[in-house]
Amino acid sequence: MTRLQGELPPQQFTTWIKALRADDDAGANTAAPAVLLVAPNRFVLQWVRERYVRRIGELGEEFFGAPTEVALTLPVNGEAMRRPVTASAAKVAPSPASVSAPAMPPAAASSAPVAEAPRAESPRRAPAASTSAYDKTRLNPDFTFDTLVTGRANDLARAAAMQVADNPGVSYNPLFVYGGVGLGKTHLIHALGNEVFRRNPKAIIRYVHAEDYYADVVRAYQQKSFDVFKRYYRSLDVLMIDDIQFFNNKNRTQEEFFHAFNALTEAKKQIIITCDTYPKDIQGLEDRLISRFDWGLTVQIEPPELEMRVAILKKKADSHNITLCDDVAFLIAKNLRANVRELEGALTKVVAFARFHSKQITLDVAKEALKDLLNAHNRQLTIEHIQKTVADYFKIKVADMHSKKRTRVIARPRQVAMALAKDLTPMSLPAIGDAFGGRDHTTVLHACRTIAELRRNDTQLNHDLHVLTQVLRG
Amino acid sequence: MKQLVLDIRLDAPPTLENYFAGDNAALIAALQATVQGQGMGHLYLWGAPATGRSHLLRAACDACQGAYLNAREVGNTLPGSPALLAIDDINHLGNDAAIALFNAFNRARENGQTLLLAGDLPPRALSLREDLRTRIGQCLGFEIQPLTDAARSAILSTLATQRGLRIDGDVVTYLMRHGRRDMPSLLSTLDALDRASFERKRAITLPLLREMLQSGLDI
Repeated sequence: MTRLQGELPPQQFTTWIKALRADDDAGANTAAPAVLLVAPNRFVLQWVRERYVRRIGELGEEFFGAPTEVALTLPVNGEAMRRPVTASAAKVAPSPASVSAPAMPPAAASSAPVAEAPRAESPRRAPAASTSAYDKTRLNPDFTFDTLVTGRANDLARAAAMQVADNPGVSYNPLFVYGGVGLGKTHLIHALGNEVFRRNPKAIIRYVHAEDYYADVVRAYQQKSFDVFKRYYRSLDVLMIDDIQFFNNKNRTQEEFFHAFNALTEAKKQIIITCDTYPKDIQGLEDRLISRFDWGLTVQIEPPELEMRVAILKKKADSHNITLCDDVAFLIAKNLRANVRELEGALTKVVAFARFHSKQITLDVAKEALKDLLNAHNRQLTIEHIQKTVADYFKIKVADMHSKKRTRVIARPRQVAMALAKDLTPMSLPAIGDAFGGRDHTTVLHACRTIAELRRNDTQLNHDLHVLTQVLRG
Repeated sequence: MKQLVLDIRLDAPPTLENYFAGDNAALIAALQATVQGQGMGHLYLWGAPATGRSHLLRAACDACQGAYLNAREVGNTLPGSPALLAIDDINHLGNDAAIALFNAFNRARENGQTLLLAGDLPPRALSLREDLRTRIGQCLGFEIQPLTDAARSAILSTLATQRGLRIDGDVVTYLMRHGRRDMPSLLSTLDALDRASFERKRAITLPLLREMLQSGLDI
């Protein structure tokens, strides 16, 4: 602890490390020394896990003289709330300086559960029973300004959000963030909320998706509890409404929000709104609401450019403790342009593929991993499509696929098409024969055998078949 | 006198173990990790019909008390528990159901819920609302690779053996040459052969199959 105090700036030490409590029982049942740290809330847990857990493990190793397990958990409000995060000091990088670029192969990364444990744990975790202030905010501790990659596409929005975090309720009220789907609007406002909470843990912050706000209104309506509903939403210091376009044509919800909006802005409480379009373009929203959205600042998030997409991927890979080389990041970023979510999906796929096959993430591995994801074509091939593709490839007429002609220039492509139809569709051979001008299934079988035999010695035909298969499969 | 068949299906319920993985080993590994609570987040599987999407979803749900729903059954809400929620055929989601799934994605972290989805197309080609489609694109996605004919023949023979049936090799060859070669079609033919063999007290041979074809069996 003293060592860590020496290494960190005092403010960081007080905020994050001093808040932790060591649990003495940890490690009693295991051979290796272990340290169990109890964080006061999930936000601190997340912060410490991301930044300090490795160093604590290393110091533990020095102290105990053996690799030390460091586990982080929340106070026990029930076992279900525990989110242990373990880091084996033996497996992590040797110094804090190398944290941002761990030289770990993917296979080793998968066995070091630093970043994996929380994700692995969370799906089976029972719904949170804790009533801690942070949990009530419904903020995602993963979404901070640190984890948000900035580029031309979002720098204005980020600057505005940071300014609002500096002076909530004062600078820009409301802050209206708009942009297309999957560009990081939600991440940005969570980051803002987390920053406000970090500076002032007493602030009453609430993130709510417009659909959940609507559900709250419906519930209040059914339970005749509008007083409680109003009191709650007007007690907030920061209210964040995500995807406000979902209020369209929900009149009662809009009315309730209108009144909450007025009450909060009058009391100099901060309101943050996200939307998929510019305020004036929102469909089915009352004018009096739309006009209020203009009172503060409206900022746009644009689709990220290539360099920013690469940076996003690298940041995301870092959080998986994986080093992503430039060519792989460019491959993914070039193929998935429109939004960040699909970028993340592709990265997850590459990581999962490399881990499963115990391979390093190279360009070839990434290409192989993304083959099915980037192939947007419909794999449910029809026989007509196969016939047309093969006819085009061999420059014959589609009608020749059905004709009685038996000259080789026509018969061979027809046989190729039959063989491909057998390989690429589950159709029966008689059905394939029918589709080729009412031929017998034995003709199809003969074609399949002939092609299989020929391609063994005929490299050109083998190549043709390979190309055609690729084209048909996309 | 015709022997009456007691309609008890002996086939084992779908499990991850009795799915013939073929080229889908990575997908099975990901599903196994998910049912053990060690997955990499939400999963999306896509593939042609009859590649076993529903088998996999049901198997995963059975393995961890998850809930299985077909997209056609989804109304305007989805349950926040259990921990694994599987939605099949998402290409058939209606407008309200699509918003219900969108909400399920947004609430998943808070609910501690993992979504397991299946559809017919890769995320980029799905015709769903964009905010939902991109969320599906964020899932760990796998295309279910179809089986080869050799694998299909082997599965058919194995399933027949598991039911205590002896099926001639030439019957399997005949089915592969003359019938549709997807697993549901092959299994329904196997059912028909099983029933006929029992009713007529005859072994499953090519002549029996030919007789059935003449009396209207569609393969």
